Amino acid sequence: MLALINRILDWFKSIFWKEEMELTLVGLQFSGKTTFVNVIASGQFAEDMIPTVGFNMRKITRGNVTIKVWDIGGQPRFRSMWERYCRGVNAIVYMVDAADLDKLEASRNELHSLLDKPQLAGIPVLVLGNKRDLPGALDETGLIERMNLSSIQDREICCYSISCKEKDNIDITLQWLIQHSKSQSR
Amino acid sequence: MNYFSLKKQQRSSHSNSTGPSNAYQNLEKTSVLQETRTFNETPVNARKCIHILTKILYLINQGEQLVAREATDCFFAMTKLFQSKDVVLRRMVYLGIKELSSIAEDVIIVTSSLTKDMTGKEDLYRAAAIRALCSITDNTMLQAVERYMKQCIVDKNAAVSCAALVSSLRLASTSGDVVKRWANEAQEALNSDNIMVQYHALGLLYHIRKSDRLAVSKLVNKLTRGSLKSPYAVCMLIRIACKLIEEEDIPAEELSDSPLFTFIESCLRHKSEMVIYEAAHAIVNLKNTNPRMLSPAFSILQLFCSSPKATLRFAAVRTLNKVAMAHPAAVTTCNLDLEGLITDSNRSVATLAITTLLKTGAESSVERLMKQISTFVAEISDEFKVVVVQAICALCTKYPRKHSVLMNFLSGMLREEGGLEYKTSIVDTIITIIEENADAKESGLSHLCEFIEDCEHVSLAVRILHLLGKEGPFAATPSKYIRFIYNRVILESPIVRAAAVTALAQFGASCPALLSNILVLLGRCQMDPDDEVRDRATYYLSILNSERPELYKNYIIERENCSLALLEKSLSEHLNGDLETRFDISIVPKAAIVKAEVPSDVMLVTSSAPRPPKITREEESAARLAQLPGIQVLGPIHRSTAPIQLTESETEYTVQCIKHIFGQHVVFQFDCLNTLSDQFLENVRVELTLPEGFTARAVIPCPKLPYNELQTTFVIVEFPPDAASSIATFGATLRFVVKDCDPNTGEPDSDEGYDDEYMLEDLEITVADQIQKTKKNNFQVAWDAADSEEWLQAEDTFVLSAVTTLQDAVNTIVKILGLGAANLSEKVPEGTHLHTLLCSGTFRGGAEVLVRAKLALSEGVTLNLTVRSTDQDVAELITAAIG
Repeated sequence: MLALINRILDWFKSIFWKEEMELTLVGLQFSGKTTFVNVIASGQFAEDMIPTVGFNMRKITRGNVTIKVWDIGGQPRFRSMWERYCRGVNAIVYMVDAADLDKLEASRNELHSLLDKPQLAGIPVLVLGNKRDLPGALDETGLIERMNLSSIQDREICCYSISCKEKDNIDITLQWLIQHSKSQSR
Repeated sequence: MNYFSLKKQQRSSHSNSTGPSNAYQNLEKTSVLQETRTFNETPVNARKCIHILTKILYLINQGEQLVAREATDCFFAMTKLFQSKDVVLRRMVYLGIKELSSIAEDVIIVTSSLTKDMTGKEDLYRAAAIRALCSITDNTMLQAVERYMKQCIVDKNAAVSCAALVSSLRLASTSGDVVKRWANEAQEALNSDNIMVQYHALGLLYHIRKSDRLAVSKLVNKLTRGSLKSPYAVCMLIRIACKLIEEEDIPAEELSDSPLFTFIESCLRHKSEMVIYEAAHAIVNLKNTNPRMLSPAFSILQLFCSSPKATLRFAAVRTLNKVAMAHPAAVTTCNLDLEGLITDSNRSVATLAITTLLKTGAESSVERLMKQISTFVAEISDEFKVVVVQAICALCTKYPRKHSVLMNFLSGMLREEGGLEYKTSIVDTIITIIEENADAKESGLSHLCEFIEDCEHVSLAVRILHLLGKEGPFAATPSKYIRFIYNRVILESPIVRAAAVTALAQFGASCPALLSNILVLLGRCQMDPDDEVRDRATYYLSILNSERPELYKNYIIERENCSLALLEKSLSEHLNGDLETRFDISIVPKAAIVKAEVPSDVMLVTSSAPRPPKITREEESAARLAQLPGIQVLGPIHRSTAPIQLTESETEYTVQCIKHIFGQHVVFQFDCLNTLSDQFLENVRVELTLPEGFTARAVIPCPKLPYNELQTTFVIVEFPPDAASSIATFGATLRFVVKDCDPNTGEPDSDEGYDDEYMLEDLEITVADQIQKTKKNNFQVAWDAADSEEWLQAEDTFVLSAVTTLQDAVNTIVKILGLGAANLSEKVPEGTHLHTLLCSGTFRGGAEVLVRAKLALSEGVTLNLTVRSTDQDVAELITAAIG
């Protein structure tokens, strides 16, 4: 009964306080970007994903917030185009495969060169260390250190360790995102 | 009023401010590109974005050029519009993607979005998404979308299937290998009930199998048994069948029994008019046919001539017009119907009918038809005027006596409005008449003179001035042309002025009586503001002032054209050399006349690949030979022969030979192909049995010859010192080391190999191989000038028993000697018993050769051959070659 009232309340809220946010999801290939979108959109996890050739656009509604996600392919040939889709968004979500230690350095370089772009100054960044369910995956502190996140001072930056497979920490991620929707960030 | 003039009027009304105005007029590129920022706004305003996209497409289609950065920015802004669900906007985005795909960078970014649309539920998106996807996909990305393309080809929605098939056809030109794998799906689509799907599926299947003749004939054999519903597909099948018939070159007697022909003939009874026409058109255009096979097709065309539908009348009369020269008798049977079409309300049909009648009709009817056509010639479009002009050109050759009527008509047409192509065809025709008919020369030249007085086409004016310079001095009163030419110097643009100066100089060189006047005129040209004009005037003045007529010949009348590419190469070699010897321009090969290739692709799927620029064989091989070590020692290349096959086709190894002739050497180039997939050849070389006097200088083997790769090996041989023994036959053997290999990988199984050899056919070096053609504009001048100390003469008389006509004799002589004929003397006029053939060339080493062959027809052909050359041996060699 209470749930029903809550849902009706949500619906009212969404009519009167409808909010929109736009975020761009980037990161190296095979880090789980498209999977993450699927998980937050429908709660579905699928193992066999095909690489994204180009970009996917998804709209996700959570409560009174509509999140527009630009999910950009992570193969090297698309990395030069990341910046174009990051301009003017509410937040950049950077996905890292926390269990693939060999690629961490490449991932760090790509992140820093992306954030050096003057067009993207001041946009909040959320770094997600995916695949924490795998053995040997780094936790938040390990990631902050290895990704050299402490050197980024000019903007809000946050790091979570998640698992799309186990749906670990997806809720706090969503919470962070919703907090950064338009009205809050203003 | 016909369509073209209607369009012209519309355009002129646009420029008037009173007409309806165009909403997209006066668009500014930069401001429109600024507006694309709107695409980034949320939520998307679909109406506004559609309007902006329309503006962009309008600009691009008006020829506005976007640079890569502008296009890329615009493209990425456009990708943001994928978030909108507006159907119209999405389809505009597809159009935008297609337009920008070739200019913008990183267009593959929309691949994923497009594949989603093409496999999605919204049918309105799917076909358009496929087409857009193909425009952005390159070879590497194609693998990623291959699965979706295959699905779409067999989709039950006809529009989707068509779009996929047509796009595959487009992709086949760039990524043929991938598209080949879709043959099964195309085969399935061929069974579709939809007429367009079936047609496109046949197109794709044919394209995939095009290179495999066996597969094509299997496909055709299966389909001719009548499983095709679509008339378009049947038309296509008729064209494929025709192509097969042409390729197999079936003689006429067997053709009527061939299943392919039976199929085409059965299509004459098809229920669709389109198919009936296609079949008739195909049959009358076949090469090997006899009247019995043609008559049903011509009856069909005759029937169409009186059809109430204008398209059918047009198609029929156009086809008849095209084949009028090939089958005059059959076309004559349709004359009555064609006469009826002369007054057809459709001018295009009327024009074609009249020109067809002109081609087939009798001499007496020429005047009547010309009168009829002049009543409406002003009303027809340029394209059809060209058809008229071509018909007149054919008439002139057929009825030389009618030249005054036709020439007057042509000059009338020259005075009217018309585009470059139209005017060019008229001028071409007049020039042809002048060349073929001496009586028409004076009147033709004066018509042309009149034309250049008011000619806006620079290229034509230059051409006519050149012709005047060549022919004018030998006319009855050369002085009358000078006024026309000098007027050009006063009135025209620099290019025309320069050509006029050259033409004036020709008169000065060839007409001593006019020399003093010409000198005055050229003197005035030295004041010209343009460099080229001044340079030419000074050049000609100093030669004409020298009063040495022998200089006139070489430097004004007969200026030989070196092949520019090779001249540049020789000069740079000279500069890199020791600079102690003088540069000798005579050793640079002369520019050969390159004939334009006639497109042979009949009407099948046309590929729009750009044609390579025309280059001569010598230029092509010079680039190739330059890579050989030590080739510079041999000096510049004199001539390269056409390739000859030394093996039967379809043997284990095929070898063709090109002979490159140098001053004292010959380089044999052997192009070898290994057709055995289980053999890997190494150290491939050709061993020649040299006749006496020849010395082998080098053999350059080909280190590796894998399966199905064309590789080359060379042999360099020095000619004997005396030219007389340079005609020889060489035995040739291909030698190599064989290693067995795996047919799939092409890697040799082991390092062990064994020697083997393969006999080739014998090679010959003939006189013609050693002579480069030259074309003398005025043979007589050169011939008379050669009557001097340094020239030597050889003379002999022969009886040619093998030939029966003068034309055959002329052809044989030109072929044996490899010389270029001058003054059109290679054409023997009909009904004469005497003919003189004049021809010239350069022997290797730079000796010039002039040949005068007097021919008389009695029992056989009697030939009196006079050869003048700067080298005694060469002169004797050439006389000996005929005997």
